[in-house]
Amino acid sequence: MGRITLEKVQKKFGDVEVIPPLDLTIEDGEFVVFVGPSGCGKSTLLRLIAGLEDVSGGEIRIDGKPATDLPPAKRGLAMVFQSYALYPHMSVRKNIAFPMKMAGMSQEEQDEKISKAAEVLNLTDYLDRRPGQLSGGQRQRVAIGRAIVREPAAFLFDEPLSNLDAALRVGMRLEISELHKRLETTMVYVTHDQVEAMTMADKIVVLRAGNIEQVGSPLELYKTPRNTFVAGFIGSPKMNLIEGDIARKHDARTIGVRPEHLQVVDSGGTFTGKVGVAEHLGSDTFFHVHLDEMDEPMTVRAGGEVGLSHGDTIHLSPQPDKIHRFDDRGLRIA
Amino acid sequence: MATQHSRAAARFMIAPSVILLLAWMVVPLAMTLWFSFLRYNLLMPGDNPFVGFDNYSYFLTDPAFQAAIVNTLLLVVGVLIITVGGGIGLAVLLAQPMWGTGIIRIMVISPFFIMPTVSALVWKNMFMNPVNGLFAYGADLLGLQPFDFLTQAPLASIIGIVSWQWLPFATLILLTAMQSLDSDQMEAAEMDGASAFSRFFYITLPHLARAITVVILIQTIFLLSIFAEILVTTNGGPGVASTNLTYLVYAESLLRFDVGTGSAGGVVAIILANIVAIFLMRMIGKNLDA
Ligand SMILES: Nc1ncnc2c1ncn2[C@@H]1O[C@H](COP(=O)(O)OP(=O)(O)OP(=O)(O)O)[C@@H](O)[C@H]1O
Ligand SMILES: [Mg+2]
Repeated sequence: MGRITLEKVQKKFGDVEVIPPLDLTIEDGEFVVFVGPSGCGKSTLLRLIAGLEDVSGGEIRIDGKPATDLPPAKRGLAMVFQSYALYPHMSVRKNIAFPMKMAGMSQEEQDEKISKAAEVLNLTDYLDRRPGQLSGGQRQRVAIGRAIVREPAAFLFDEPLSNLDAALRVGMRLEISELHKRLETTMVYVTHDQVEAMTMADKIVVLRAGNIEQVGSPLELYKTPRNTFVAGFIGSPKMNLIEGDIARKHDARTIGVRPEHLQVVDSGGTFTGKVGVAEHLGSDTFFHVHLDEMDEPMTVRAGGEVGLSHGDTIHLSPQPDKIHRFDDRGLRIA
Repeated sequence: MATQHSRAAARFMIAPSVILLLAWMVVPLAMTLWFSFLRYNLLMPGDNPFVGFDNYSYFLTDPAFQAAIVNTLLLVVGVLIITVGGGIGLAVLLAQPMWGTGIIRIMVISPFFIMPTVSALVWKNMFMNPVNGLFAYGADLLGLQPFDFLTQAPLASIIGIVSWQWLPFATLILLTAMQSLDSDQMEAAEMDGASAFSRFFYITLPHLARAITVVILIQTIFLLSIFAEILVTTNGGPGVASTNLTYLVYAESLLRFDVGTGSAGGVVAIILANIVAIFLMRMIGKNLDA
């Protein structure tokens, strides 16, 4: 069981309010991802849940029981740190055994769990090495192993993959998702990489300056962003946000169109501009198009082999049902 | 860069300092060795005949020699235990974020800046003196008999004084090591359910192992040759109760004007220091490997 509820949880460092009172429920077995730009309070929120930081106000419940004043160890949560935080002087085996040793578990039970975790995480050959003799991905797996053996109510991950190279990151991403499917334990995962958020999450929590901007499944956020911030944050490349006359034609202050919802047409079209930089990815090509009426270039996704190059004139028309409209306060107009 | 030519030039350039350093070391060592085989007493002028190992057998069979060895070891070990133990405690305390740490740190370090003779004199006259000392005053207030530290427990008192001087050094080295302790590791251990004691035992102490080794090695070198503190407080007495090897060499050569025996004692001291050094490196030197 691992249902975590935050009620009016607030955090101040001195006079600075990093997290204004917020409510959030994380259901048992859910994979929840906190995303947001750097410094928005994702780590702080995670540390509040972990108990490594004291709340300035509000209530945290784990499985319905108040946990606000419990020390970290008593909350039954396990955390995987960005820096891995392995104990450098202990072998991999001892690292993984540490929480069990602290819990006073018998040696046989420890050995059994270690070998099981090592098998799951492909660490069997490395059990007698020190963390210093492992690669980044292996260290990350040891850190996860140390979390697994505690059989926690929930796992907390703070940007666990940000120290890994791109290829390894994709691999570890799959492994963590796989692990979640297998263990069916609640996982709370912090990242600022929205691709990680989209691919792994059951539920995404978008944060800005400590405020929850929107909570929902990845597709909900993609299809119906609640405001311009979420619209710009979720999706890659970013949604094009257009203001001015064009938006006014749609009775909105701002309209948003995703690059993949713009079509290149031969003539006419809603927008006409000049092709700037073209990014060829093979499967897709992203054009940055400069329009007369906009300062920022517009991003368009086109097929892999579109014969346009720098300086060419391009006509674009958005798919009418994929236009997002936002009002003066940046909120979505239904 | 490092061509044959430039290497030759480099050797030529550093030659003077190497020669000077060698001379600085080798000449006194050779003279000490030479003197240790002569009958050479300043009270008996005349020729200084070669006497073989007589000086050594005289020095080594002197009852004071055994006492001095024991005292030297007690002094070194005692001070090491106090300073390393106290240093770890202070370092852990001072690494905590709290109000006024800056000032407290400077205060903790300051004994190290006081010259050994001065601090020993201060301790002798202002603290340990059985009539005027602060401790006697305290005992008086409590209605107790004042304790004459330097007469009744001379070696223990000197261990106390020397520990007071070296505690800041140990604290300083260990504090810098504490500050390089990764806070994530501590938090991870906290989440893993480790109590404050377990965290200290399983995370902090192993992290400090290398710094502790450095403290022990450096301090041992200096503690083997403690001299000023003994000279100004007890003069090695009462009897030989607080005489260490260094002080015994001094007593032989300068109080009895026996250069030959003093030199023999010096050579013995060098050999002993090397034995201790080898022993230490064997025992704890592996901590220094990465
Ligand atoms: N101990 C602290 N004292 C004062 N301010 C802090 C402290 N820890 C964090 N902050 C502030 O709180 C805000 C949120 O920090 P936090 O570490 O939660 O950001 P984050 O969302 O995790 O960012 P990143 O993606 O860069 O890790 C930041 O503005 C930071 O400066
Ligand atoms: Mg962070």
